[in-house]
Amino acid sequence: MKSNWNERLFGTPKFEPLVATSYLFPLLYLLFFLIIPVLAMLAIAFTYNGSLSLHWFREIFSFNSDYIKLPSTWSLFQSVKMPGTGETLYIIQGLDFGIVLNSIVVASVVTLLASLIGTIFAFLMARYTFPGKNLFRILLFIPLLVTPFVSAYVVQQIFSEYGVMSSILHALFGFRVRVDGLAGIALAQSITYYPIVYLNAYASFINIDPSLEEQAENLGSRGFHLFRTVTFPLALPGIAAGATLVFIFSLEDLAAPIVFHSNDLAKRIMSYQIFSKFLFGTGERSPLIAALAIVMLTLAIIAFLGIRKYVSLRQYAMLSKGGRWSPRVSKPRIGQALIIYLLLLPLLLFTITPQVGVVQLAFTEQHRVVTNVTDISASVAGLMYPTGPVANGTLVTPKGGWFFQGTVKGYSDSIGVINGSINGFFVGKVVVSGGKVSFLGNITYADFQGLASRYNGTIHTQMKGPLTGTGELLSDGTVNLTSTRFKATMFNIPAGKVSKFSFNYVKQMILTPDVRRYIVNSLLYSTVAVVLIVLLSITSSYATSRFKGALTPVLESIVILPMAVPGIVVAMGYFYFFHLVFPGTPLDPISPATFNPAYVLILAYSVRRLPFAARSVYAGLQQVHVSLEEASMNLGASRWKTVTGIVLPLISLNVFGGAMLSFVYAMSETSVGITLGSLNMAKAPITAFMKEVLLSAAGSINIAAALGVLLITVQIISIVLVNVITKQRYSFIGLS
Amino acid sequence: MVEVRLENIVKRFGETVALKGISLHINHGELFTLLGPSGCGKSTTLRIIAGLDYPTEGKVFFGDQDVTNLSSSDRGAVLVFQNYALWPHMSVFDNVAYGLRIRKLPKEEVEKRVKWALELVKLQGFEDRYPTQLSGGQQQRVAIARALVVEPKLLLLDEPLSNLDAKLRLEMRSEIRRIQRELGITVLYVTHDQEEAMAISDRIAVMNVGTVEQVGTPRGIYEHPKTEFVASFMGKTNVIPAKVTEREGDRVTVEFESFRLEGLTYSGEKDDVVIVIRPERISLHPVEDAITLEGTVDLVEYYGFFVEVIGVFGERRIIARTISTREVSGIRPTQPIKFYIRRDDILVLPKQL
Repeated sequence: MKSNWNERLFGTPKFEPLVATSYLFPLLYLLFFLIIPVLAMLAIAFTYNGSLSLHWFREIFSFNSDYIKLPSTWSLFQSVKMPGTGETLYIIQGLDFGIVLNSIVVASVVTLLASLIGTIFAFLMARYTFPGKNLFRILLFIPLLVTPFVSAYVVQQIFSEYGVMSSILHALFGFRVRVDGLAGIALAQSITYYPIVYLNAYASFINIDPSLEEQAENLGSRGFHLFRTVTFPLALPGIAAGATLVFIFSLEDLAAPIVFHSNDLAKRIMSYQIFSKFLFGTGERSPLIAALAIVMLTLAIIAFLGIRKYVSLRQYAMLSKGGRWSPRVSKPRIGQALIIYLLLLPLLLFTITPQVGVVQLAFTEQHRVVTNVTDISASVAGLMYPTGPVANGTLVTPKGGWFFQGTVKGYSDSIGVINGSINGFFVGKVVVSGGKVSFLGNITYADFQGLASRYNGTIHTQMKGPLTGTGELLSDGTVNLTSTRFKATMFNIPAGKVSKFSFNYVKQMILTPDVRRYIVNSLLYSTVAVVLIVLLSITSSYATSRFKGALTPVLESIVILPMAVPGIVVAMGYFYFFHLVFPGTPLDPISPATFNPAYVLILAYSVRRLPFAARSVYAGLQQVHVSLEEASMNLGASRWKTVTGIVLPLISLNVFGGAMLSFVYAMSETSVGITLGSLNMAKAPITAFMKEVLLSAAGSINIAAALGVLLITVQIISIVLVNVITKQRYSFIGLS
Repeated sequence: MVEVRLENIVKRFGETVALKGISLHINHGELFTLLGPSGCGKSTTLRIIAGLDYPTEGKVFFGDQDVTNLSSSDRGAVLVFQNYALWPHMSVFDNVAYGLRIRKLPKEEVEKRVKWALELVKLQGFEDRYPTQLSGGQQQRVAIARALVVEPKLLLLDEPLSNLDAKLRLEMRSEIRRIQRELGITVLYVTHDQEEAMAISDRIAVMNVGTVEQVGTPRGIYEHPKTEFVASFMGKTNVIPAKVTEREGDRVTVEFESFRLEGLTYSGEKDDVVIVIRPERISLHPVEDAITLEGTVDLVEYYGFFVEVIGVFGERRIIARTISTREVSGIRPTQPIKFYIRRDDILVLPKQL
């Protein structure tokens, strides 16, 4: 039989509708819902004044522009005075190299940190046995749980000037620290993404044939030399694969920049710029932003292709050897044990704080039991009313004191930042000299009404304490207080509800119709997307694992391509593409009257989360020997009957595992959900609501945290299900 | 039951040519074996007959029917896979019943025939087991039952014994032979093991790098190999490169090293030849019409009931095989020895490799 176009394309000698569909369905799906939308954006970015042009790229790549420049200041931190107390506050926020370079610098720093932490923990868990290893195992599982926005929020709080880190430094050295801006983003992302390296590196270390290391030892290599010359090079492809994913994820991440958005430098990063600008002025496209998206896409794809090339060059044969070996584990020596317990355990505990913090936020009512607070450092501004005319010289206020009223700002360790109005009486010495008035005395009694950051609700109470300061004598005989320090004590603050465990926010999450709707939306979209993903991954994996047509390598690449396309790029591509092709329909994001994000989000989820399931299904198909299918067809069964009767039952567990993984990550999808998804809040997913909370302070962070806990719960349930049903270790995320 | 004809089958996989134009004729009710080293194309030939691969050129006939373009499911040539290809998610019964259910046979008929097939392979009572609960030999019987139950026109066996241990291999070999005789079906058998092929086959086709070198009965192929490859592939043998120096009709004189062998039979054209001598046809005692080679003993290898004496003749080592008698046990390395070989037992074949 002559080879024909069918054999060349699909690898079957005769046309088989099922095989052709297996190729064409995923190919066309991804062509329409990934490639073409991205190309639509390309078309816009390369157009200037109606003709093909590199204009927008020239703008981006000109030195000393907003996009690429040298920092105006090279100092890594700024020091400012804290309001009220005057303590020194160091703000670490990173250097400004321009929007494009900032993204690259942050992604590189995150990749480096995450790789370092991930590899260390992976090596520890793969090669050492020590008391408490099971505790490490459990703890290492926690950072894998994904809670968009809220985990970055927790990191931000920990590193705020009143956070844990700052308080420790304050207690030890008397100054405070805030990590913010680009540095804050890098910190939050490193903690979020290091588990990706950990999982890949761990798998690599475990997969090294022990005889390779034993042979090296046998030849005299030992300790770090052994690690450097044998172990590490063999594990490097896995580590590099994980690191690359981290680089791409950091590049496209929106959650951390949004959480830190009140800092101006945090906004000067590609993902945030694209996010904040492409949706404004609906209908009017910004070619500059499209060009910026393409720069980001190009960076991600270069990283992705680079690692695929590298990993495929170093597919060591040992990985394909199926033998089960007992891994090499050893007991740590004293010095190593010290490192494990004194350095790595605290580091590990630190990296789980986001998840712990999310749970705490979700279940803790933050009212505090406070009756008297004695440590308030405050400043008062306002007007003082002398009991009579004042002249130059020193005088002592009458017994009842002078009345004053104004505002008070301050800080106390126990109730946080206070802010409110105050009126009361000053008793003490007053010195008047040429319009300047200085005070030295006490506020004997004052009424305070206002807020404290660590006290939920308004405080209405009394204050007193020593006051020093200066003011100006006004023409009407009153004194304007300009610089007044007040060491105050507050009395009888009503004891709020205890900071106690509470289901209130979870209850609110379920009972608030709006919030409940977001949950239902997310569940619905993710479920439908997973159905599509299952179809796509079965067809594509069947085609690529069984047939060697010319379309096989094309399909193989296109199925994993979504890993390399930043979500914000997908969102932007959809925005242009669906407006262009389906104007005025529910798919058109620019037509607010008709737009229904449901369709666009389902498409986006199914495309973006496809690689997770496709990998799992492909792995399953590789375990099923082709002869099992041939035997069936040889006995007279059709292709359809063979696939449904033999193949699908045999890969059902892989399909299930992959589907769960895709579902979990669809539920926490951020980029498209918070952009196109929030164009119609009635149809928006969970993440769109979380973004609203953090971006515009609409709604409570505690309810957002409760949603984070919901996501954690979904993840834990699916992990347990996958473990119990498939008896396989749940593979979170990887690249191969 | 069917007769199978292959006409000039060529199979290319991209650049590589797996089959270079194979023609074969397999008779009704015959156990026909494709024998050859790995990579010779025997499995590809089998898969082409099964309809799992399609030839690039050439035709496949079942009787008078051209089945070249027929899909595997429509051919009725059922293959027993080397790895048995039992479906792990189905019980023994379901595995065997699969083909019958595809053919939409009534339930009672399915049960009856599965029972018959399992009895045939002596696996009664294993219906509810799963493949993983069976030994290698049992798995193979299930695979054979699964193939036989659909009453195939042609049964194809792809290295069916290669995954079994030595003892079980012998047992299953005669079992396959028994079933084939009992049912009188045509069987095409593929193996790389020449001993197995000779023991089981009616006829054998010896294949080498995509071609058929010789077709014949086991005895015919062993005793009258037509090519150097067939001679050396069928059992241990002495292959000695030599030159024809004199010819008289098909009587020739052949020389190697300093030895001159007169009065041998050869009708080929090439003067570059090989002399093929089976080790067991070399005698250590004078025999009639023999050629005598004088050399020294290099090594004596003891195999129990027989002994191999390796003699050095010039630079050439020649193996002789003989029953281990007390006399033979006296032979020591370095002592001089004479090998006597009947002229009839010396084959002269054109040099091939």
